[in-house]
Amino acid sequence: MNEIGGAPLFFLEFGDIVIYFTPFTITLFLLALVFTVFVLVSRPERQIDIAFGGDAYYAKEISLSELRFRRFMSIACGLACMGAMVTGDVFDFTLFVSLVGICNVGIVAAVKSRHVQNAAYQYGLVALAGTVPLFAAAAMVAATTGTLSMLELAKDTIQVPLAARALLVLGVMGEGMAPFYAAKAEMFRAPGAPYVIMCSLSSLLIFLRVAEVILLL
Amino acid sequence: MWNEYSIGLAVAFLCALIGSLALTRERDDLHKLLLIDLVETASLAVIALIGTDLAEALILPGLVVGIAELLALSQIYLTKEGYQSYPVKGLNIEVMMRSPAPVIISTFLVVYGIILSGFTGGGIAGLGVVFFLMSRSFCGNFHILEMASGISWALWVAAFFVFMFLPEWWYLALMGAALGILLKVITKMSLVGAMWGEPE
Repeated sequence: MNEIGGAPLFFLEFGDIVIYFTPFTITLFLLALVFTVFVLVSRPERQIDIAFGGDAYYAKEISLSELRFRRFMSIACGLACMGAMVTGDVFDFTLFVSLVGICNVGIVAAVKSRHVQNAAYQYGLVALAGTVPLFAAAAMVAATTGTLSMLELAKDTIQVPLAARALLVLGVMGEGMAPFYAAKAEMFRAPGAPYVIMCSLSSLLIFLRVAEVILLL
Repeated sequence: MWNEYSIGLAVAFLCALIGSLALTRERDDLHKLLLIDLVETASLAVIALIGTDLAEALILPGLVVGIAELLALSQIYLTKEGYQSYPVKGLNIEVMMRSPAPVIISTFLVVYGIILSGFTGGGIAGLGVVFFLMSRSFCGNFHILEMASGISWALWVAAFFVFMFLPEWWYLALMGAALGILLKVITKMSLVGAMWGEPE
């Protein structure tokens, strides 16, 4: 096995789905875990609006139900990220990545403002289109090599076609477009903070992990 | 080079490509969503091309992810365009409200679904229940259905744990999983059939 992320430290077996921890994946896993805990304990940012023509300003109230929804989506996104970081199965990886995509749509769409909703809708369309190359890649890996286990695929005897790898990267790119759309709706400082940080973090993490997977295959 | 698998793959990707081409010309948001869903179906075709038992196991999560994103996006579309939810109560077709035909068709579908068992059977039986609920504009308490769905799901998961940790009890686990998924799909689909939007 060519060791991209270092030698695997230990294995967790669920039937033929083996979750393995290398120094690389452990680092990414811990990063996702730490940020999920941050999201769990943090409070939403309250936007300050200045009343025009006077000294007055007022803070926008965020209702409890909206807060709960955003927090739930961010935590779900964190959990999906953790899963995508450590899984040792190509199809599981694609599933976790598409779950990250859905959660990111939820995080962006939780802000009830028309232009943010527009951005969320456009991102949702991209994420939905991204699942096509993602699942197609996993299916092609299974069909050409007969296995989905990354530990099996890492052996030198098995060759994964270039098209399958390219499609996998394309799919992850589609799902990881969230920061672009969040930035488009000016969300980082404005509505949705601090939960929007999960969008950026999850995209970064899935890109880092897919690089490892591609080098491994 | 050009064996059956490659040809199938080429056809599936061609379908996705045609859908994507239509997408570049479309300007309406709702139609974009429908076209994207059409493109997404091509990925199910690619998974189905594996052609083994594994294909069936992989299509299910693929389908679920697609439906989840479709539901989320349609909800966002409603909020974005500011459409209100209008309560609709059933189909309101007099013949279907009175005649015994829906009962007969639903019973047939449910019985056939139970004989088939598993996911497909659950789908067919669920379709029967959906049809019955739609034609009778049934309104009532769905807590029992939700509970049944939850319990059958727990049964399904428990059966999988038996597969993993007590492989010698595989027959029990198989029956548990089949029954669990049958009940779950029936109840989930009938919940969908009953959701016509309630006045808020």
